[in-house]
Amino acid sequence: MTQISIRGDDLTTDRRLRRYSDIRDLLPGPDNPTPLVRLNRVTPPDGQLFLKLEWLNPFGSIKDRAAEYLLAGLVERGELPGAQLVEASSGNTGIALAALAALTGVQLTVTIPDGVPEEKKTLLRMLGAEVWETPDDLCPVDHPTDGAIALARSLVASDTGTRYVMADQYENPDNVRAHYETTGPEIWRQTGGRLQYFLAGLGTGGTITGVGRFLKEQDPSVRVIGIEPQAGHQLPGLKSFQEAKQPGILDWSVVDDVIQVDDDPAYEVTGRLFREEGLIVGPSTGAVVHAALELGAETGDVAVGISPDSGLKYMSYFAERLGNEGLLTV
Amino acid sequence: MTQANEVGAIEVTDVLDTSGLLCPLPVYQAALALKKLQPGDVLELICTDPGSLEDIPALARQRQDVLLAVDDQTGVQKFWIEKGEDA
Repeated sequence: MTQISIRGDDLTTDRRLRRYSDIRDLLPGPDNPTPLVRLNRVTPPDGQLFLKLEWLNPFGSIKDRAAEYLLAGLVERGELPGAQLVEASSGNTGIALAALAALTGVQLTVTIPDGVPEEKKTLLRMLGAEVWETPDDLCPVDHPTDGAIALARSLVASDTGTRYVMADQYENPDNVRAHYETTGPEIWRQTGGRLQYFLAGLGTGGTITGVGRFLKEQDPSVRVIGIEPQAGHQLPGLKSFQEAKQPGILDWSVVDDVIQVDDDPAYEVTGRLFREEGLIVGPSTGAVVHAALELGAETGDVAVGISPDSGLKYMSYFAERLGNEGLLTV
Repeated sequence: MTQANEVGAIEVTDVLDTSGLLCPLPVYQAALALKKLQPGDVLELICTDPGSLEDIPALARQRQDVLLAVDDQTGVQKFWIEKGEDA
């Protein structure tokens, strides 16, 4: 077999050339921001709407940021050696953590709600994570929702013979810090500090708390808007607090308003983003943009919304909603 | 339901010991174990989380299994669950 010799140890990361010596060098930050792209057709009547395309992160979603900080925090505090990492995730945090854990030599178990699309479960297993599918009504008594979170916590608390450590994106302030130190400053620089609205879905609360806090420190008049789905929704990554426990890291003091979005308009706008903007986004982006269209922005207003992930992981959801639309059969 | 002193008569197919595990782990593991059994098979389940006394009967009802017997006399809870026809 021919040995391929790779010479030149000096081929280090050079972002100008988009050359990287490790996939982790692609993780975002103020010097390596994710793109901020203006919408030109699916727009509010007056203002300008920009989407921050978080699916262009190396592991495919905004959760790359939280995963990096959560894992770094566990390493810094010396919690990982000899332990198995566990996290409850509807997919994206698990995927980013699985990739980073694999690179760090850590084994990850992900407890995941059983309604999550197969694409995400397969991705997690491809990355070497152990996947525990968990119905939300797992514990029939006194645990109305969030079976995946309860299961992950019980693994940490139980005497299983293995020491489990939970990254805990819902309670760990490192999640907020990731957005306060990266996403917030990126948006501020990319807009030249000229934005009136920031919109993000409510899930762990990490994005809205970290970004909202940073932006309000720069300019208290920036309005921070949270997007909440209805109970029983099919918008992965978002949480309805009618049915889910509020995460400990969510700081309501930086949230000016919450806009409730139903599944149907969220999916309708997601389709429009595909067809009118060429943006292959996940359904939670549709929810964010739908809310932005309802804002009543005034002329010249700039709104920035988060597009957490791409649509590629949700094809089975989209196929179900499309039915036979546009499909020629013989 | 069978009395605790009669449980010796129950033919057990599989035993799952969840001692030390806190809710919802015993429920999760019990559901996985029952999934592997055939209808009519019996799972003997051992738990130490007192919450199991409520959760395991609820699980059996939810899954349409038959809870044959419960023994909680020693601080350890034991359940005998027969996998239901439709479970």
